[in-house]
Amino acid sequence: MASYATIEAETATADPVEMLTKIRDRLFRQDSRRARFEQAVLPHLDAAYDLARWLTRNDHDAEDVVQTASLRALQFFDGFHGTNARAWLLTIVRNSFYSWLQKQNRGHEIGDPFDEDIHSSEDGSVPAPDTELLRQADRRVLRLGFESLPLPYREVMVLRELEGLSYKEIAEIAGIPIGTVMSRLARARRHLQDFLIAQGVKEGRR
Amino acid sequence: MSCPTTDHELTAYLDGELDLTSTLEFERHLEDCPSCARGLAAQRALREAIGAADLRFRPTSVQTRRLRNAMAATPGEHAALRLPSWRGLQAIAALLLVAVASWSLGRLWPPRTGPDLSEQVVSSHVRSLLAGHPADVISTDQHTVKPWFTGKLDYSPNVVDLASQGFPLVGGRLDYLGNHPVAALVYRADRHVINLFIWPAAYTPDGAGPEPVATTRQGFHLLHWTQGGMTYWAVSDAGEERLRQLARLLRSS
Repeated sequence: MASYATIEAETATADPVEMLTKIRDRLFRQDSRRARFEQAVLPHLDAAYDLARWLTRNDHDAEDVVQTASLRALQFFDGFHGTNARAWLLTIVRNSFYSWLQKQNRGHEIGDPFDEDIHSSEDGSVPAPDTELLRQADRRVLRLGFESLPLPYREVMVLRELEGLSYKEIAEIAGIPIGTVMSRLARARRHLQDFLIAQGVKEGRR
Repeated sequence: MSCPTTDHELTAYLDGELDLTSTLEFERHLEDCPSCARGLAAQRALREAIGAADLRFRPTSVQTRRLRNAMAATPGEHAALRLPSWRGLQAIAALLLVAVASWSLGRLWPPRTGPDLSEQVVSSHVRSLLAGHPADVISTDQHTVKPWFTGKLDYSPNVVDLASQGFPLVGGRLDYLGNHPVAALVYRADRHVINLFIWPAAYTPDGAGPEPVATTRQGFHLLHWTQGGMTYWAVSDAGEERLRQLARLLRSS
């Protein structure tokens, strides 16, 4: 937006009262820009933190990422004309996270270690999962399960299952087609089921 | 047995993201395909477990405060981040002067209360929802809420419980709008929260009549009217019609 010099230039006029009025209106507009920003963004701070925390996997980095993202959001707020402030903010959080990750030189984490063959069920041989075991999975094991998901799968699962976003919103946030959202969710859920069942077996709950 | 249905369809069905035709088709298919039915049961069980565990991470109150402070301390403009030049410093000095002057002028020229006030009303509504406790005195009893304001305000707001008409009273709190402490009553309409602000019309003479005027701001509906020398502002994400109902009930009470 405008620098002080531009405000000065735009409001320069021969009549001092008129100039004061103009500057006053201008300052008022900036105040209201801040107010509009806070009303649009603050209600979604929790969701932003949740996503950042799941992506970075620790409190401190999550806070850093959310802080960077909210400052970027403030800078680019004039470019936001939509109605979905939550999806807009989450997009910025996600981008901030990936910039942060690159700076950490940890780009390799983005990789996709899922083996296509193992997780494909297109041959129709869906194994019978133990639904009771799945239903009883506790918080600790579920957290481990989510953390074991590779990033591209973890982010869609967090957006869908924890933040309740639609496929369309997730597709926009992650910059992928809706079909990819669907296939990532399908594979992530299958991975989680396998993970939980393996954990259940390990702990002798079967 | 071979099944042409993929995990993807099952997933989209579970998430309610299939279109109507595909949904019906898939439901017909489920009846004849035990393998898909088992797959769906497993996915549902997983979702139930995830829902019950609530895996969301929430910032601590200290973190939230730090994040908000960081935002508040930022000018939010690219240009302002640069070091000010001499000319810039001159401009800042001039602006400071102007800020003081305009502040004094502001006292002589009261700012247009219309748009400014409705913005404050929405902010206050949002803040009350964010804080998680919209009411300082929590009671559905009008005879508890009304006396609570005594001694806190120099007027007595009209408090009525409209539970039997679908607007149960949740409570009340003090708020600060248009440079005055004001009464905020909190009502519920189904699952929506309605904030009703009441103050003497003399505080903000904006010429609102007895007929409610509706506006929307940031997706919230606002209704504004005066009645018995008091200004009323109702704000909610409940529909405009619900607010009008509430206004009708209040005006006839």
